[in-house]
Amino acid sequence: MNSALQRATDDIAPVHMERVRAIAEGPLAALANRIDHDGYYPLEVLAALGEAGALAAHLESHGQRFDLAVDAMREVSRHCGTTGFLIWAHQVCGLYMEQSGNPHLQGTPLQAHRSGQTFGGTALSNPMKALSGIERMALIAKADGHGGYRVSGSLPWVSHIGPGQYCGALASIRDDKDQPAGELMFLLHCNDHVTLRPCPTFSGMEGSSTWGLRLDHYPVVPEQIIAEPAAPFVSRIRGAFILLQIGMALGVAEGALDSMQEVESQLGHVNKFLHDRPEALRREFDDMGRRLAGLTGTPYATDRDYLLDLLDLRAQGAEFALRAAQSAMLHQGARGYVMSAAAQRRLREAQFVAIVTPAIKHLRWEMDRLSREEWPQ
Amino acid sequence: MTTRPWKQYICLACGLIYDEEKGDPDGGLPPGTRFEDIPEDWECPLCGVGKADFEPYEPPPHPVVETPATAHHQNDEEPVVIVGAGIAGWSVAEALRGLDPALPITLVTACDGHRYHKPELSVALSRGSGPEDLVQQTGADAAQRLGVRLLPQTYAVGLSTDSRQLRTTRGTLRYRALILAHGAHPLLPAVLPPELCWRVNHLDGFNGLRRALAGGSRRVAVVGAGMIGCELAEDLSASGHRVTLLDRQSAPLETLLPEAARRRLRQHLEEFGVTFLGATEITGINAVGQSKHIATNLHGLIEVDQVVVATGLVTSGRLARQAGLAFENGIVVNPRTLATSADHVYALGDCISLSGTPCRFIEPIAHQARGIAHAITGSSGGDYQHRDPVIRLKTRRLPIVLRGCGDVALPWRTLVDEPDYLHLEQRRGHQVIASLRVGRR
Repeated sequence: MNSALQRATDDIAPVHMERVRAIAEGPLAALANRIDHDGYYPLEVLAALGEAGALAAHLESHGQRFDLAVDAMREVSRHCGTTGFLIWAHQVCGLYMEQSGNPHLQGTPLQAHRSGQTFGGTALSNPMKALSGIERMALIAKADGHGGYRVSGSLPWVSHIGPGQYCGALASIRDDKDQPAGELMFLLHCNDHVTLRPCPTFSGMEGSSTWGLRLDHYPVVPEQIIAEPAAPFVSRIRGAFILLQIGMALGVAEGALDSMQEVESQLGHVNKFLHDRPEALRREFDDMGRRLAGLTGTPYATDRDYLLDLLDLRAQGAEFALRAAQSAMLHQGARGYVMSAAAQRRLREAQFVAIVTPAIKHLRWEMDRLSREEWPQ
Repeated sequence: MTTRPWKQYICLACGLIYDEEKGDPDGGLPPGTRFEDIPEDWECPLCGVGKADFEPYEPPPHPVVETPATAHHQNDEEPVVIVGAGIAGWSVAEALRGLDPALPITLVTACDGHRYHKPELSVALSRGSGPEDLVQQTGADAAQRLGVRLLPQTYAVGLSTDSRQLRTTRGTLRYRALILAHGAHPLLPAVLPPELCWRVNHLDGFNGLRRALAGGSRRVAVVGAGMIGCELAEDLSASGHRVTLLDRQSAPLETLLPEAARRRLRQHLEEFGVTFLGATEITGINAVGQSKHIATNLHGLIEVDQVVVATGLVTSGRLARQAGLAFENGIVVNPRTLATSADHVYALGDCISLSGTPCRFIEPIAHQARGIAHAITGSSGGDYQHRDPVIRLKTRRLPIVLRGCGDVALPWRTLVDEPDYLHLEQRRGHQVIASLRVGRR
C-alpha cells in the first residue's frame, strides 16, 4: 500500500478526542439506558462521532492510527458499551472496504461510511469461527456465470445493520459439483433480497440493531466483492479486527472503575473490605494500556508472537471487564442494584465483551491452536 | 407409543438442537412432534431461522473426553505455579514437596506431563523403546503422588508480574511464586519448515518420528552434527536406517572438540554407516510424493524419506518480554537463587541463561530445583552453585567425555593417543581447565 505517501499528501483529519469525549459524556451517557434496555439505536450519536473522526482514524487514508481508533472506542464504551460495540462494527466494516482494494468500495461509499453518513457493520462472527475450525460456514455462494455470485443461507445475529444499511459478509463458494471452492467476502446490502428477522430480546445491548439475516439467492456483483479468495484477506485483517475490540473491553472496565471511584468518599470505609479494589484494578488496567500501545503500531502483523500477544490482551480485557463490573457492583451496593444503574448495565456489557466473537473460549481455542507445534504428516 | 427412535436435528445457524422427544412446547410443538410433522412456518426458538435450516443431528458416539479442570482454583490460597513438566518442572515440584508437604502447587504444561528421561530420546530407537518403555510415570500419576494440580495440554500465554497473574489457555492463575521451566525449542532455520522436518526435543516428536520410520529401512537425513545430531545419527543407523548427517561445519562437533577428537568421531560415525556431509548448506527442502528432496550447495539434491533437524535450541522470549523479565539468550537468573528480574518469579533448566549463556544439560537441574525450592519455602542451605557440567556424548562404542570449560584459544595437550583411546587436556598456567576422553582404554 502507498500509505506513507498518502499520509503526506492527504488532508488528514485526526480524531478530535475532546469532541468524542464531550459526546460520550454528554448526549450518549444520557441515552445509555435507553440504548441498552429499550433498543434505541443511536445513529445520530454515531453520526456525530463520525464527524469527530472516531470512525476513520484507523484507516490508511487517516494515517492508520489504530491507537486513536481504539482510544475513541474506549472513551465511548466507558459511557455506553453498546455504542462502543457499534463503533467497532462500523470501524471494521470501513477497514474491509478500504483494504478490499476494490475502487467501487473505496471511493464515495467509503467516504460516506468513515464520516458517519452511512452505516454498516460486520457479519464475520460465523466465518471467523468457521475459518478457525470451530463451526461451519453459514452462507454458501455459487457463481452466477457473469462474474458474480448468488449467495444463500442464514446468520442468526448480525449487528449494526438495518434496511438500507450494509455489512461485510463471507460465504463458502461451492463449485458445479457442490464441492467447496474457497471463500468469497463481499459487502452485503440489506435490500429486497435480504430478509431481516427480529432477534429474541437480549438481556442488554438492545440498541445494537441486531437482526437475523436470511439470504435467498442474493446476487453479488463484482463491485461488491471485498476479497476473493477471502481466506488470505481474513488472515491479514484478523489481528486488526481483534485489536479494535480491545477498546470496548477497556472502556467498559474503565466505566466500572469510575463507578467504584464515584462512591469511594462515601463508602470507602466499608468498601476497603472488598476484593479487587479500584487502585489494584487501575494498575492492571494501566498495564493493559501499556501493552496495547505496543500492539497498535502493527495492526496487520501476522506473526505468531504478535497474534498471541494480541489474543492474550483481548482475553485478559474480557476477563478484566467481568471482574471490574462485578467489583463495581459490590462497591456501589444497593444503588448499583437499581435496574437503571450504570453498574448494573455494565455487568451485561462486560458479559457481552466476554461472549462476542471472539469470545473468551474462542480466544483460548485460537491461542491453543497457535501454540501447537507443527509436525510432518 | 412409537417404535421409531426419536431423532434430533441441529440448527445450522445457531447450533440449537431440536429433539423430537422434547418438542418445542413454547413454539407450539408438543413433546413427541416428529420433524416431518413440524409446520413450515415454525422457527428456531433460539435464532428464528426456519425448518429448512435444520439438518439431522447425530450426537457424538462417545462421551466427550474429559478435559482438564479450568485454571480457577477452588482454594483461596494462591499456589506456586510451575510452567513446564519436563525434568526441570517435575524436579522443582519434587523439591518443593520435599520441603513443604502442604504447599499448593499447580503445574501447567503443554504436553500430557508424563515423566520420562529426555536424554534417552536420542538413543531409544535402536533399543526398540516405545513410549510405553520411556514413560516412567504418567502425568496424572505423578501429580497424584506429589499432590500437584496438573493442567496438561495447557499453554502459558501471558504473564503480568505486578498482579502475579499467569494467563493460560485454560484460564488465569494467580500465583504466590511462579517457576518458569518451559525449556527451549528447536531452532528451525527458514529453509527447514516444521511440516517437513522432525525434531526430537520431547516425547511427541520422538513418537512421531518413530511412527514415520516404522516398517523398514528408511533413508534419513539428520541436519546438524552437534551432540544431539551425532547421537541421533548413530541411533538411527544402529536401527537399520540409512543415515546422512549434514552440517555447515566441516566436521561433527566442530565448535566443541579439538581436531583430533573430531576426526575420531567422524570415523566412528562413518564406520557405523553414517554418511557425513560437512561444509554443506541446505538451500531448500521439498516434499515430492513420500520423499523429501534436500537441495544443497555442495552435494546437489539429496533424496530421503525423513528429515530430522538438530540445529540447536532457542528459548522463546515472548512471555519474558511481555512481562519485562531480563532476557539474554534465555531468562536471566540470579546464579545463586535462580530468581529472575521480577519478584516471585524463578526459572530453571533449558530456558535460563547464566552470564548470558544458556545451560542446557540435565545434571544441574536437580540442584537448581533445590535452590528454588529453598528460596520459595524460606529454608536455608539451598543456594545453587553453578558448575560446568560434564558433557557426555552418548555414542555407543566411542564414548566422549568432556570435563571443565574449554577455551578455544588454548591448545589441547595430548596425554594418551592410542587407536581406541584419546585423552587430552587444556591448561591455563598450571591449572587444568578441561579434559577430554574419547573412546575406551
